[in-house]
Amino acid sequence: MSSATVNGGEAGGGMDMDIEAAAVQAPTPAATNTVPFAQKPNFKPLKAHEISDGQTQFRKVPVPPHRYTPLKKAWMEIYTPIYEHMKIDIRMNLKARRVELKTRQDTPDVSNLQKCADFVHAFMLGFDVIDAVALLRLDELYAESFEIKDVKTLRGEHLSRAIGRLSGKGGKTKFAIENATKTRIVIADTKIHILGSFSNIKVARDSLCSLILGSPAGKVYSKLRAVTARMAERF
Amino acid sequence: MASTDDGGGAKPVGFDSLRRLKSTEPPLFLSPSPDLSQAARLASQYLFSSLKPFAPKSPFSQLLTEGFDAEQIWQQIDLQSQPLLLSLRRHVRHFEKNPEEIQKQFDLDRDRFGDSRKEETEDGDGDDKLVSREGNKSDGLESEGESFDEDEEDEVEEEEEEEEEEEEDGPDDGEMDNEEKGNADGVEDKFLKIKELEEYLVDDEEKEYGLKKEKKKRKRGEITDKDEDEDEEGDKEDEEDDEEEDNELGLMGLDDDDEEEDGSKMGTARYEDFFGAKRTGQGKKSQVFGGSDDLDMDDGNNNQKNNLSTHEKELEKLRSEIETMENANLEPKTWRMQGEVTAAKRPKNSALEVDLDFEHNVRPAPVITEEVTVSLEELIQKRILEGRFDDVQKPPTLPSRPPREKIELDENKSKKGLAALYEDEYVQKTGFISTALSFSDEQKKEASMLFKKLCLKLDALSHFHFTPKPVIEDMSIQANVPALAMEEIAPLAVSDAAMLAPEELFAGKGDIKEETELTKAERKRRRANKKRKFKAEATKRVTRKVQQNSVMNSAGGNDES
Repeated sequence: MSSATVNGGEAGGGMDMDIEAAAVQAPTPAATNTVPFAQKPNFKPLKAHEISDGQTQFRKVPVPPHRYTPLKKAWMEIYTPIYEHMKIDIRMNLKARRVELKTRQDTPDVSNLQKCADFVHAFMLGFDVIDAVALLRLDELYAESFEIKDVKTLRGEHLSRAIGRLSGKGGKTKFAIENATKTRIVIADTKIHILGSFSNIKVARDSLCSLILGSPAGKVYSKLRAVTARMAERF
Repeated sequence: MASTDDGGGAKPVGFDSLRRLKSTEPPLFLSPSPDLSQAARLASQYLFSSLKPFAPKSPFSQLLTEGFDAEQIWQQIDLQSQPLLLSLRRHVRHFEKNPEEIQKQFDLDRDRFGDSRKEETEDGDGDDKLVSREGNKSDGLESEGESFDEDEEDEVEEEEEEEEEEEEDGPDDGEMDNEEKGNADGVEDKFLKIKELEEYLVDDEEKEYGLKKEKKKRKRGEITDKDEDEDEEGDKEDEEDDEEEDNELGLMGLDDDDEEEDGSKMGTARYEDFFGAKRTGQGKKSQVFGGSDDLDMDDGNNNQKNNLSTHEKELEKLRSEIETMENANLEPKTWRMQGEVTAAKRPKNSALEVDLDFEHNVRPAPVITEEVTVSLEELIQKRILEGRFDDVQKPPTLPSRPPREKIELDENKSKKGLAALYEDEYVQKTGFISTALSFSDEQKKEASMLFKKLCLKLDALSHFHFTPKPVIEDMSIQANVPALAMEEIAPLAVSDAAMLAPEELFAGKGDIKEETELTKAERKRRRANKKRKFKAEATKRVTRKVQQNSVMNSAGGNDES
């Protein structure tokens, strides 16, 4: 505590002193010959909440209306890992329909806040809590989104058919891609979100794009089989 | 009525009766009537007498009907008509060949009719002439006689060598006729003819040598008869005339030659004998082409056609056959005799006419009878009842290589969360826990375990000398069941190595004895041990209690103090 104040004071003072020094030194350069250089300051590593000058950092994740009820249902599953393990404050702003995250003082790492924000964002996209939690646990997972119109301009029935092709009967095509590439896919109307590691996202994206462009599911399956075999061989 | 006296009157009577017969209705003939029979007899007499001049060697001058049976009358008619028919046939054939002779015949007939009429008026002369003529005929040589006989001769020659003798027939006949006429009054009679004798001798010689005496004879004949030359013979006769003039003087010589040759065969042979007289002119070609033998044959035949015996005729036939065969051999063979013949080498549709014999490599189609169908149906029924069909089964295809592992894509929602997936992946990478690489491996292991167990059981049942498989160390709960019970239930072959060992059941040291087996000293010793243990325990308990009390006392003491 005391040290903190000292530091703060020093910091403040340091800053003041720096400013002063700069101000002093600017007018009278010749007079500093006799004044010795200030010793190099030795700073201790900053804590998470000090990075932003002791100010807490916030993240605000808006909640889309269709995820409102699922959020309500899965709130505890979201809250527990964030608050307990990541040590981030989380709250739901009902009026603004937002989830707000805030760093605490004992937040170990700066990136925790971002991870939690990503986790909540993934949930808002449509992923399951169980799948989204992987974002908290693994570093190199990402969530990618793209639209069908980015791949090919489709209108009306073609669009509907493309969406049908993507998911397959009872979602079996989607699950096949998920299982083969170790990713999670969310098809929300014309938007597609993929959650997984970088290379896996790439493979899944390729399969989905080929489906959008019109190749039959069987073809996509054969490609997936090849991918699976390759991945199995690696180990 | 039937007599030569009524020669003039019988004719019209006979004619009338003939006409009457012709006019009667056929049914009237069925019933016997003397009138009709009389008319018939008259008619037949008339016919007989009218045919008599033409009929050769008829013994009856007229048909004798009085007092004769129908059968006898018929026999007479038959006797006349048979040879007459033959001669008529010959005439017809001859006229077929030589139509121009019909004209001649008419001329001659006109002459003859004139003669015959004269003969008829002079009955005796006619009879004599008829007799003579008949006598000539009755000599047995058909080629004699007058112009009428001439035709017969022609026919006879044609029978033997038709084509070659046409030209030579006329003059020869003419020769012979004139000669005969000339000699008719001489030594010759109906039995012996010098001419015939000569001809026979020459023919015989010719057969021996093949010499051409006949030609010379013919020449001689032609010299004597130039009047009766025929147009066909023009060429030949010219030649021969030329040579005849040369040889006229030698005619007698030729005769001598003939006689000489009759005696000694090759003594006085000349070039002409072998190689023929030197001939010039057109006819040579035909002669040479025909072949010297043929000409010789022709001459011989021409000169001796009167004298040919059956033997000679046979020989002639043989010769002609041989000739034809030789000619056939010279020609190229017919397609049937050639080896392999394609369709191009034989005439169209010629294979149809020939009865070809070739091997049939195909079994002949079976004849379907009742028994065959019944047997088939029986077989079918039996097979159906047995259920034994001869279906074609596909041969089992051996896989050349083991089938590739087919990766099954799981189309169900994965039960593990994403985090768990990556966790597993990480674990596998680091190798902490060995897990099945894929779903199929687990299943494979399970399947292989099951199969091993099954195999073990089957081997136990089937092998004579069963060797149990090596035991796989496996952590499992061992039931502490008495060995006896285990041995009863399980088959003998199962090893009891998996069961608990006795030492695991009870670990005792030394000699284990029951209560009853103990000796007194051992019993005492056991009791003594037991007492010692009990005492030791008792003291321990007491000391523990004392310690506890002391602690409590001390604690309380502390509190008190």
